[in-house]
Amino acid sequence: MAGLGEMMFRTLATFVAGVLLAGPALAAEYHEAPALAALVAQGKLPPVAQRLPQAPEVVQPVQSIGHYGGVLRTAVRGDSDHNAILKMVGNMGLTRWSMDYSKPIANLAESWATNEDASEYTFKLRAGLKWSDGVPFGADDVLFFVNDLLPNKQFFQSPPSQYVINGQPMRAEKIDDSTVKISFAGSYLRFPWVLATPLGQHPVLYAKHYCQQFTPMYNPDLPKLLTEAHQPDWPTLFRQKCGDIEIPARWSNPDKPVMDPWVISTPYTGGGTQVVVRRNPYFWQVDPAGNQLPYIDSVNMKVIGDIQTMLLAAIGGQFDLLVRHINTINNKPVLAQHAAEGGYSLVTLSPTDSSAMALWFNETELDPKLRPLMRNHDFREALSLAIDRDEINDIVFLGQSKPWQVGPLPGDKFYNEKLGTQYTQYDPDTANQMLDKLGLAKRDGDGMRLLPDGSKLFLSIDAMTADTAAIDVAELVKKQWAKVGVNIGINTMERSLYYERAQNNAYDIGTYAVPSGLNATSDPRALIAIQTLDSRQSLPWVKWYSTGGKAGEEPSDSMKQRMKLWDQWKQASSEQQADQLFSQICALAADAFEVVGTVQGVTTFGIRSNKLMNVPTSMPNGWDYPNPAPTLPQQYYFAN
Amino acid sequence: MARFITRRLLGMIPFIFLVSITVFLLIKLTPGDFVSNYAASLAASGETVDDAMLASMRARYGLDQPLLIQYWDWISGVARGDFGYSFEWQQPVVSLIGERIGLTLVLSLSTLFFTWAIALPIGVYSAVRRYSIGDYIFTFLGFVGLAVPGFLIGLVLMFVGVSVFHTDVGGLFSPTYTNAPWSIARVGDLLKHLWVPMIILGVSGAASLIRIMRANLLDQLNQPYVDTARAKGLSELTLLVRYPIRVALNPFVSTLGFILPQLVSGSVIISIVLNLPTAGPLLLQALLGQDQYLAGAFLLLLCAMTVIGTLLSDILLALLDPRIRFQ
Repeated sequence: MAGLGEMMFRTLATFVAGVLLAGPALAAEYHEAPALAALVAQGKLPPVAQRLPQAPEVVQPVQSIGHYGGVLRTAVRGDSDHNAILKMVGNMGLTRWSMDYSKPIANLAESWATNEDASEYTFKLRAGLKWSDGVPFGADDVLFFVNDLLPNKQFFQSPPSQYVINGQPMRAEKIDDSTVKISFAGSYLRFPWVLATPLGQHPVLYAKHYCQQFTPMYNPDLPKLLTEAHQPDWPTLFRQKCGDIEIPARWSNPDKPVMDPWVISTPYTGGGTQVVVRRNPYFWQVDPAGNQLPYIDSVNMKVIGDIQTMLLAAIGGQFDLLVRHINTINNKPVLAQHAAEGGYSLVTLSPTDSSAMALWFNETELDPKLRPLMRNHDFREALSLAIDRDEINDIVFLGQSKPWQVGPLPGDKFYNEKLGTQYTQYDPDTANQMLDKLGLAKRDGDGMRLLPDGSKLFLSIDAMTADTAAIDVAELVKKQWAKVGVNIGINTMERSLYYERAQNNAYDIGTYAVPSGLNATSDPRALIAIQTLDSRQSLPWVKWYSTGGKAGEEPSDSMKQRMKLWDQWKQASSEQQADQLFSQICALAADAFEVVGTVQGVTTFGIRSNKLMNVPTSMPNGWDYPNPAPTLPQQYYFAN
Repeated sequence: MARFITRRLLGMIPFIFLVSITVFLLIKLTPGDFVSNYAASLAASGETVDDAMLASMRARYGLDQPLLIQYWDWISGVARGDFGYSFEWQQPVVSLIGERIGLTLVLSLSTLFFTWAIALPIGVYSAVRRYSIGDYIFTFLGFVGLAVPGFLIGLVLMFVGVSVFHTDVGGLFSPTYTNAPWSIARVGDLLKHLWVPMIILGVSGAASLIRIMRANLLDQLNQPYVDTARAKGLSELTLLVRYPIRVALNPFVSTLGFILPQLVSGSVIISIVLNLPTAGPLLLQALLGQDQYLAGAFLLLLCAMTVIGTLLSDILLALLDPRIRFQ
């Protein structure tokens, strides 16, 4: 992440120069897929040089220059798995992640510059970009979202927070057809990072020439359209036709123009059994030899409801690439065992999670007898010392990880040794002594500790039935804590009830992985209580923060301090200042020690067909980095 | 007869109305709503969604309205034949159900015929040749069929298919035909795939039917009227088919009412494991995701089918069994 400042302030000179040097000198040297060439010959499609931008981005293939053809077979689940499609084909924002997930780089914007306090960004779009239907893409499309849709109260009841600074949504100004200036009501150093994540795709998601017909601002005949479509209001119709970042409808309209390498042709619908995306003839990247990408003709995603069925198809060699759903650590042996006969290799998915499984002690516990304990640093420290993390690592994670609390992983620039490694040694004797001192020295006939008033000490751990790792870890923790006389129950439940109980603050300890071990600032939910669904150290604190103190419950002093630092971090105008603020947050979180981790995020494995080339042997596995899309599947190809 | 049918049909209207209230309340009783489920399902796979987006969705789908208004919006639409929109898929509920109901019927009916074609003859054989080697073999197989869950048989068959025969996993079509328009070749492809789920779905049903048929028939075979018929010189086959089997069929027909809704919901788990494009998995998804209009439509459909099925079985019973008369 170093060099953020330089990156933002330098003009794109170096980048453009690189592109020109590497790229073909003449338009005539561009090549295209045979199927497209045939359409050109029939006069149904303009020649490739006219479909590409003036200076298409030249993508360096991972291994070698490929050739055209083939169908990539993969899978999605039948319910709410639309993001699998996003992660496969839909990651073309103004910026995108560098393949190693270290920084945002130029994408649809070939460069950007910002003013001194990082409140204004000027994006230079690649000249001559076209939507998948051949209509030019430009500043007007960005303005359509930023100025027409974003502030519209019917479209967004309140605008998504990633576009809001100091309570004001961003504004866009057109400099020329391929230059846009986006301004904020304050500094927003992080904006290019946000644009590289899936949630930052809005500005380039909607083709104005197509989507404007579904808005009252541009279509006076809209009521007629609404009646025909039997839709109550225009935002519903709009989202049905043009989608939104993460709803299934994004993948249900083949007529919607996109900037992605492949265009939906068999949509993702409730009754669908497969989803097919086909080559975008106007895609704007080429390889160093001047071949228009993507190499692969289409991606065929089979809709499979059951993960075991998916695994079975995977070991049968029926997928060319699958890095989702089957990538749990306990599947590694079976995947490895069948690799030869299935004709595939394992792809290493390096974890972006900080902790593979953490215990989120509820700081705002409802039970008044337990509450002082839950908020007591020493109580959590003692219980942390009573966890045998090596045993958890060996049994649940096949020895693939190492003991860890929470926070940025080694290698991240915010790595804080204390935050990550304090109290990770297994020391039941010290734990026993500490618990005795906390007034829990009395025990019942089973050797389990009693609260000072003589009632039994009992904590329940909530876990989702689908989250088998959480349940397995909880079982081991139950056994380990029993040795120091702490009795817990494991409360497994369906996903919706698990989240409902969290929202009602009706749990003692939550179990969940901790994200953001890399790129620590992207989702610091375990360090600061700001994530409305999953900051389980206390959701009333989150509410207090998000409502500016009007609702919820006032957090501890340390947490309030971190929230303040976080607000300052968001407004920081220099990288140095921002980094310093975030380091303070980490230090405070280490002292407060709210979330008890077990082991580091664990490496998992996906599969790729041995014939599929240019797939990196290892890729980060995450949501902000929606793999495999940032590794550019458009440059994958099939060996003969 | 006509009066009986009319009376039953009219009685269905208030019944279905009460059912609709129950169905709606049941869906609403579960914790959370569609939007909180949507957020939870994203969060559970490590994905995030903005709070403002969630609030907008809730307002757009009317989930912030009082329960009574939500119910009225739904039921008044249903009365007009408009079953509403699926929140998740942004498609009309009717077209979603329609997409899947056709193949569901094909699969369910063929399974039903398969079950009966196997169970009735074997049941009769087992009863007539009681305690023979054949009876023991069928009894053994029957209990295995009853005891092993269908999805397990499905997984094992698929594993063998994949690792030994390198076949496709599940589904009702090969990849080539999945989205092809209907043609003779596509029907052929369907038939090639249909027999696997048909057998898996049929096995446990057939096993229990064999037991029922055997027990029923054993009851009848010792009745005096059978001896009388035999004494009068009827051949064994004619005798069996004309009297005791006809009586023994009675429980089959009276449970016909429950077979209709089973066509839709009976095979959910197996359909998910075998990845069949039938209605069951969609119903389960809708319930889990609290996609209330889709789930509501399904449940209403199931209830209506049960009511109609019971009516049909009553009529058939009257035709089959001379002891039953309308008052």
